Amino acid sequence: MADLRLENIARDFSDGRQLRRVLFPTNLTFQPGELTVLAGPSGSGKTTLLSIIGLVLRPSEGRMWLAGQEVTGLADDVAAKMRLATYGFVFQQPMLIDGLNIQDNILLAVGIQGARIPGALRRRVGELLATLGLEDTARLQPQMISGGMKQRVSIARALIKDPAIILCDEPTSALDAENGQVVMGILKRIAVAEQRLVVVVSHDARVFPFADRLIKMENGTVVADTGAAAPAGQEEAL
Amino acid sequence: MRSAVAWRLLRHDRSATAGALLGVVAIVFLVGQQLSILFGLLQYMSVLVDHSGADVWITSATIRNVDAVNLIPGQYLERVMGLPEVAWAEPILLGNGLMRTADDSFEAVRLVGLRRPRLQGGPWALAQGRAQALLDLEGAAVDRLDLKKFAQPALGSITEINGVRVRLAAVTEGARAFQGTLVFLPLDKVRDMIQAPPGRYAAILVGLQPGMDQAASMARLRALLPECSVLTTAELSRRTQLYYLTSTGIGGSFGFSTTIAVLIGIVIITLTMYASVLQRTRDFAVMRALGGRRRDIAILVLCQAVIIAGIGIFLGLFFLAALLNATRGSDIPSFLPSLVPPLLAGITLLVSLLGSLVALRKALQADPASVFH
Repeated sequence: MADLRLENIARDFSDGRQLRRVLFPTNLTFQPGELTVLAGPSGSGKTTLLSIIGLVLRPSEGRMWLAGQEVTGLADDVAAKMRLATYGFVFQQPMLIDGLNIQDNILLAVGIQGARIPGALRRRVGELLATLGLEDTARLQPQMISGGMKQRVSIARALIKDPAIILCDEPTSALDAENGQVVMGILKRIAVAEQRLVVVVSHDARVFPFADRLIKMENGTVVADTGAAAPAGQEEAL
Repeated sequence: MRSAVAWRLLRHDRSATAGALLGVVAIVFLVGQQLSILFGLLQYMSVLVDHSGADVWITSATIRNVDAVNLIPGQYLERVMGLPEVAWAEPILLGNGLMRTADDSFEAVRLVGLRRPRLQGGPWALAQGRAQALLDLEGAAVDRLDLKKFAQPALGSITEINGVRVRLAAVTEGARAFQGTLVFLPLDKVRDMIQAPPGRYAAILVGLQPGMDQAASMARLRALLPECSVLTTAELSRRTQLYYLTSTGIGGSFGFSTTIAVLIGIVIITLTMYASVLQRTRDFAVMRALGGRRRDIAILVLCQAVIIAGIGIFLGLFFLAALLNATRGSDIPSFLPSLVPPLLAGITLLVSLLGSLVALRKALQADPASVFH
């Protein structure tokens, strides 16, 4: 099981003239088996933090370890390989690819580096879709299903390779309340029952009840963390 | 998986795919059509030489092409025949004339005088009549496609060239020249028409004994006739084609139009593939975030370029074959050597890959972090 440790992780962005710090030095540890919600208003740095955790953005400062292995300054290809092997992503929009049917969209998360897709994995797509209440959609094109169904397909895409870490960026923001509850319920089950590390970025208060741990961010800083393992100086009861 | 994804994305983005396909088809078809006319004209330029049936041509010294030969003495014929490697040697006489047409007008013609009875260098394919008809002193043969110029004369009809009476004895097939309308006649008749001095010829055609070393035979012939040009049929053919290509501007003209066709194709492919990639920037970013490397995106885009090139090349060659088939036997010069289609396909594939480079560059810029915004 992969635990994720961040030590003084910070990130600056440049607008061409000056550097702007969007994430101040942050120390956090994430454990498998819990669903962590990163909450905060727009511009608080939660998505930047998620991008760094997801190895799609390099920190300007600090170090990061995944299952004891330092992953701070990985080369592009190594980071891609690690994302493929260890991470599952659920984006704010489902971001399914037009032209590929539901099954191919899900399998893309496994085959993007050219790996052959075994028959067992194709069967697993069917099982996953059934689990998520999407029976008989494997051959459909994305535009033929609803927004809620698409987001569930994107969860299936994140789960198909059985990743240790699942990162979700506002997974319920494009959904109605009912579908939002369904999606969060699924993510909660995945975290707890399957002992995965699930981090959800959201400013939607309706997702907070699903959180095992709630981290609140403001202006690029962690201002509150219900997690017992949070480093001294950043822990604050919500 | 990547090639399958490339194919499915192409199928989905139909308008962009159709645009890029159009670019490839345009290259194959337009360049192929230009080349077929160029090779057709090249054939016309050297048609007499290529179909002479000779191994060696002996002409006046330092000739630039087969149509600009000075007359050479006939005693060279006996000298050549004395060599053991020579199987046969036949003279040929070339000149220009004016032929009266069936509607009493005149048409400029290129006269080819052949010595009887062998008639070497003469008609190699006939549409009407028999080659032996030229054994008749008044016999003349013109090409089927040139009959219209002569106001459709009937076989056996009498006319005149340079005031000398001739009879249309045969109609040739595929004997058209770049330099003028070919008329085959007995050699003595041509001599009368162009007032050539007796015992002098435009060229001597030589056939070598089977199995002879051509290089050694050529060396002996050159040593025997140092005052003449002694060229193999292939050498004279190339020299004649090169002369007309470079001196008439045909080469430059065809080179220019071919380059334009290729450039237009590249521009179409580049623009359509770029537009397609622009529409897919978000998808490429998603693929990168899911674990795709830059090289995976590159493979996907290049797969798309190869698929488009493959289909476009097939369609282009199909249309080209249809055109060549439709114009076969017409007066449009068209000929495509068998080496050209695979060469054209290879070049088009390279051009397609070249055209996809701008799109590829854009695709590789897709930022995986952008999917989190």
